[in-house]
Amino acid sequence: MGTLVFIPAWNEEASVEAVIADVREHLPGADILVVDDGSTDATTARAREAGVLVATLPFNQGLGAALQTGYLYALREGYDCCAHLDADGQHPAAEVARLLAEVESDRADLVIGSRYRDPDAVAESDDYRPTFSRRIGTSVFRFFLTLATRQRFTDTTSGMRAANRRVMRLFSEHYSPDFAEIESLQLAVRQGLRVEEVPVRMLERAGGSSFLTPLRSAFFIFKGVVVLLVGQFRPRHAEAER
Amino acid sequence: MSWALAAASDSTQVQLTSQTRILAAIIAIAFMLLILELIRRDRLQERYSVIWFVAGLGMLAGAAFPGLLELVADLMGVRDTNVALFSIVLLLLLGLALNFSVIMSRQAAQITRLAQERAIEKAREQGQNGDGASAQQSRESEEKRL
Repeated sequence: MGTLVFIPAWNEEASVEAVIADVREHLPGADILVVDDGSTDATTARAREAGVLVATLPFNQGLGAALQTGYLYALREGYDCCAHLDADGQHPAAEVARLLAEVESDRADLVIGSRYRDPDAVAESDDYRPTFSRRIGTSVFRFFLTLATRQRFTDTTSGMRAANRRVMRLFSEHYSPDFAEIESLQLAVRQGLRVEEVPVRMLERAGGSSFLTPLRSAFFIFKGVVVLLVGQFRPRHAEAER
Repeated sequence: MSWALAAASDSTQVQLTSQTRILAAIIAIAFMLLILELIRRDRLQERYSVIWFVAGLGMLAGAAFPGLLELVADLMGVRDTNVALFSIVLLLLLGLALNFSVIMSRQAAQITRLAQERAIEKAREQGQNGDGASAQQSRESEEKRL
């Protein structure tokens, strides 16, 4: 029936309007839903002022639960495709449109926007430059996810994705609230869905700061590896294998 | 050293004293009465009380028939009945703690889904009151007219 672009947002009042405007400009045909993950600031009010629908969670539940809300809404409202991008302004909507094109042409069920596979290496100057702990985490996750799925992924924690109804059905039922990005990739591949990475350009965040300190990063990485290991023993569900 | 040798040569087990047994029986009965009272006051659901009743009955059985505990201690290869008792209780508590984690996980998932359903419902309501952008525009034009 159409395309839904949803934007998970937690205390992003500074940037959410700009992101909505960006999506409107580059994806004029898509409906927009902001999923407010229990913000304590004016995120919901800003989004409503911008004239989009807002699904406000009554308390903060984590990114995974917010994304699942988006997938659930897209499934229930009968959208053919959906996509999501971060509310902090890191993800240009023009790139999301390219991801959606892959899904719409049925070349993949789930498409991930990867910041590490730059489309034209010439534009290296404003390329994404990660911090040290981020680089370690990225390579650890990359290694283990590749091992688990036997498919090469470069940007395992990317929050810019596009998906069709098969993915909506899967993610609206099974989506880890703790380790949304990585586990969902593993899950999708294990269910036999076609997952594809597309190189995209990402920007520096417009507002807010990264939550990762070195100690937290170490714990984050450890948890991620455990989650991947456990995920290998999860049963495969029949519903998505159609 | 000499004590250990003496203990080893003595084939009889270290047993519970009758004082311990009486105390255990009283605690077990008080415990089960507490469970009953909690159910009666709707502070505890029946389905979560079964496991506690079983624990209380086990305690009572151990106090009333010490031969039972000695048999278990023998099976475990433990000479001291008290050690056997502690091990069993520890394992039981471990199982209970795990049981609670499972229940907690299920309830956390249910709470999440409830929150999601409510959020989606809110978004739908907002959509019915006027569809997103068009609602915003019509409201603005109304304000201009006024």
